Amino acid sequence: MKTRLLFPALVLALAGSAYADKVVNIGYSGPLSGGAASYGKDVQSGIEMGINDINKAGGVTVGGEKVTFKLVSLDDRYLPNETATNVKRLTSQGIDVIFVPHAGGILTVQPMTTRDPAFLLVAYSSEPKILEAKNPLTFMLPPRYDNYLQPFVSTQIKAFGKKLGMVGTTSAYGKQWADAVTEEWKKEGGTVGSNNGVDYGTTVDYSAAVTKALSEKPDVLFIGGPSQPTALVVKAAREQGFKGGFIVMDQAKFEQMDQIVPISYLNGSVGVLPTKEFAGTQLFVAQYQRLYKKIPTSEAALNYMGINVIAKAMELAGTTTDPAKIKGSLDAAARALPQSKTIFKMKGVSALGHADADFIIASVKDGKYTKLRLDTVFK
Amino acid sequence: MTTLLQQLFNAVALGGVYALVALGLTLVYGVMRVPNFAHGGLYMLGAYLTYASLTGLGIGYVPSLLLAAIGVALLAALMERVIFYPLRNAPHVSPMIAAIGVLFFLEAAVQLIWGPDFKQIPAPINGIVEIGGVIVTWQRLIIIAASVVVVLALNYFLKRTLTGATIEAMSQNREGARLVGINTNRVGMLTFAISGLLAAAAAALIAPTLLVSPSMGEVMNLKVFAIIILGGMGSVPGAIVGAFLLSFAETFGGAFISLDFADVIGFAMLVVVLAIRPQGLFKRGT
Repeated sequence: MKTRLLFPALVLALAGSAYADKVVNIGYSGPLSGGAASYGKDVQSGIEMGINDINKAGGVTVGGEKVTFKLVSLDDRYLPNETATNVKRLTSQGIDVIFVPHAGGILTVQPMTTRDPAFLLVAYSSEPKILEAKNPLTFMLPPRYDNYLQPFVSTQIKAFGKKLGMVGTTSAYGKQWADAVTEEWKKEGGTVGSNNGVDYGTTVDYSAAVTKALSEKPDVLFIGGPSQPTALVVKAAREQGFKGGFIVMDQAKFEQMDQIVPISYLNGSVGVLPTKEFAGTQLFVAQYQRLYKKIPTSEAALNYMGINVIAKAMELAGTTTDPAKIKGSLDAAARALPQSKTIFKMKGVSALGHADADFIIASVKDGKYTKLRLDTVFK
Repeated sequence: MTTLLQQLFNAVALGGVYALVALGLTLVYGVMRVPNFAHGGLYMLGAYLTYASLTGLGIGYVPSLLLAAIGVALLAALMERVIFYPLRNAPHVSPMIAAIGVLFFLEAAVQLIWGPDFKQIPAPINGIVEIGGVIVTWQRLIIIAASVVVVLALNYFLKRTLTGATIEAMSQNREGARLVGINTNRVGMLTFAISGLLAAAAAALIAPTLLVSPSMGEVMNLKVFAIIILGGMGSVPGAIVGAFLLSFAETFGGAFISLDFADVIGFAMLVVVLAIRPQGLFKRGT
């Protein structure tokens, strides 16, 4: 299947290069093998689809020159040190824009952006620390996760009760999420049980962790890691008779979880609204499904948006090789693009390089998604 | 109390699967003296073949399990013929590296054919049973029952049949076995086939409770190597005892100390056992 998908892309890229004046390589370092391969391929598919669409439309005009794009992907198996090696390889090939889809890798290579050769880092992770670094050459795509804490917590305390059980993943990102949600839960007057976090990458059976968490009789469980193992945690909890609600970390996507467990198991969960439920995403969802035979999550959608904003910014900046100038044009580029190119409604790009796109959180009730209101938004 | 019983069930089901996978590995080590790092790959392939038979051929769960077990057994025998047999007189490190190569090959091949996405195998019997306040899924009961049956059958085969006795004989003394006229080539192939059969059966049993992915063999590899080192490399009872020790240590260590330490406890136990009994709990070949 991989070769089948790559082949038309190759032909397209080659055909494109025959007519266009210039081909610009875009770098990508993400997990393409190992446990997180599925996630890495989802991200890759979004960038790839964006590039193919741009090339099909004849590319963009940068400084009077027709430019098309080509994706150069390297596998880092989700390991930050491999990301660093890959980034060095990519920059040495003269690549000036690199996508990285995991917080560990992003934070590792962030200091390298401004060194010689400089490059623009496109970060796909909701970790707020990425922005705290105040790096001048970072473009962060997803909404920060601290936006979710308050609405998730207050919704679930109101709906189910004040006792929270913890069964999140133990990745660096998962632990930070767990700490943040614990703090918010206590702030709103609830109690938090012992931490039963397990590594969603290496655990063979979740029932032990779930049994332990449930023995403290929680009203709500905090869960989350990659979508598919998260669904297994839900399954274990429901099978052991848990009737309460779930707080689902943003890494897990409802639209992937409901392919593993019946949607009725997810009733009473709060999480991120599936991409296909957003207004105005239908065309993208249909096109993506035709090409990749699966439902696009925000991994595909936000990276599709990312590459489109980058292409537009290159056009506005009049350069494909100066990362600082491209970064400077991101805000104008984001505002100039129609929603068909950004999928989510874009309000611009902040000075720190954060995409200000619409995001909606939702709770599942009777198998349907109910959108929740947000009071404050961190940008 | 209920929580304790619940955890006990969790541990027994997990231990059953660990035992099946570890048994194949320990048999191969006993007979061939090869630490077969590709064993996790066979386990993973077993899960994929079950998935393919279920979805592609549309046959039931039990026929799929048997088909996958036979398929992986044949592949394991072939692997012995084309990879390990030619390397039988090579330095010890060569078959080890070959085994790692096979593991990578299997993972890459599976990812190419079925893609990196997680696959799911539906449980043959859905739903739960409640026994004295403890909630157990049917699949876990099936796992426990099936692993007991398979272990008993394997024990009968090794102890009561002539072919089984040749495996034991070769494991105890390779030269001696050859002197009394045992065809060591045939026994080598047979042992590999049995190890593939056990790994695939274990994978087909546990697959409905988890997700099938190309990397699922790596985690299992790590655990079963710990188990057979713990039980004594090449020892059949050692593999069974080791499997349950690890699953109990993981489950109860996690429950009573902290889940953060679940993996640490398992491997700390390994260190302690090796410090006291460097040869493992059981001697090889018993």
